[in-house]
Amino acid sequence: MKMMYGMLIALTPAVLYSLYAYRLQALLLILTGILSAVAAEAIYQKLTGKKVTVKDGSAAITGTLLALAVSTSTPLYALGISAAFGIIAGKQLLGGVGKNLFNPALFGRLFYLFVFADSILPWRRPVDMTTAATPLEILRETGDVTASLEMYSLADMFLGRIPGTIGEISALALLLGAAFLIYKKYVRWRIPASILTTILVLSIVTGQNPLFHLFAGSLILGSCFMATDPMTSPRYPKGQLIFGVGIGLIIMAMRWWGWQTPGVYEFTEGTTFAILAMNLTVPYLNSRLKPARKKS
Amino acid sequence: MFESWIIRLISVLVVMIAVGLGWFQVRFSRLKKHGVEEAEARSKASVQAKTSALIVTFLYMVAMVSVAGLFM
Repeated sequence: MKMMYGMLIALTPAVLYSLYAYRLQALLLILTGILSAVAAEAIYQKLTGKKVTVKDGSAAITGTLLALAVSTSTPLYALGISAAFGIIAGKQLLGGVGKNLFNPALFGRLFYLFVFADSILPWRRPVDMTTAATPLEILRETGDVTASLEMYSLADMFLGRIPGTIGEISALALLLGAAFLIYKKYVRWRIPASILTTILVLSIVTGQNPLFHLFAGSLILGSCFMATDPMTSPRYPKGQLIFGVGIGLIIMAMRWWGWQTPGVYEFTEGTTFAILAMNLTVPYLNSRLKPARKKS
Repeated sequence: MFESWIIRLISVLVVMIAVGLGWFQVRFSRLKKHGVEEAEARSKASVQAKTSALIVTFLYMVAMVSVAGLFM
């Protein structure tokens, strides 16, 4: 429970920045996300005769994370339905906390991307709310990081002066929260470290700006707050490294082929798909990569 | 107008329920054939059916997100 509330504290900088950037729309989205997730969990547990556990804070975290991962164009009912789906299908169906196969916030987000695909666009810039393309969209259109960096500087991307989902735009706010989580040992640091290192190495190898890839899209939100979910990430160090590298490889593969396959639509960001796909490997990694016991 | 998101929502639920129920029937009858007690077979088959339903739903949504994107 302490960890769950620690996670909520860690999300505070990103939540505050989203409130500054998108004002009332962000507030309504975050409240809808939390209330829908908590209500869905309570109603499901009541109906199935289980103990109601909403006070542990996990449903509130799922709702907050999902709200931070949608655009300001999202209708509130779309977010509410997606949060309820994430909680019921992604978490409660297999027995609740500790038994879930997928990260519930990401399962809800995938559902949102499929069912409510029409409501994702347009992206809006923070504060002035004018519509604009995201850095990764420009990259997809032009196939060139430089074109994207001409529109948005690295400082814009780091501080959060770019369009995107309400919680992913400020790398600084997310990194502050991530530092708190790592300092308090609430998350397994090897996972974000291996994801970010994989992205950095691959962008250097392919001659692209590594900081652009680090600050663009939902990479930091996904790698520090979603991939590190203790219930859906590997328990042992080797498994955590493989899990992180796998996520990094899938994200970069989706960013590459997203703009290198003309005529075929692809999402400009693959964090959701990457983490969910690697969630499937967790039972295997946990059973195969247990560290050997030291002989006394 | 019947919104297209409702069709997509129903399709997700249909896939999930169809796979879950189908998998449950197959596993339950197999476990019973292998001499597992009915209550135990039901509980084991239920967990396996839910897991399979979730995995297939995940794959369905990922596949449809990329295919649906062609028409966006």
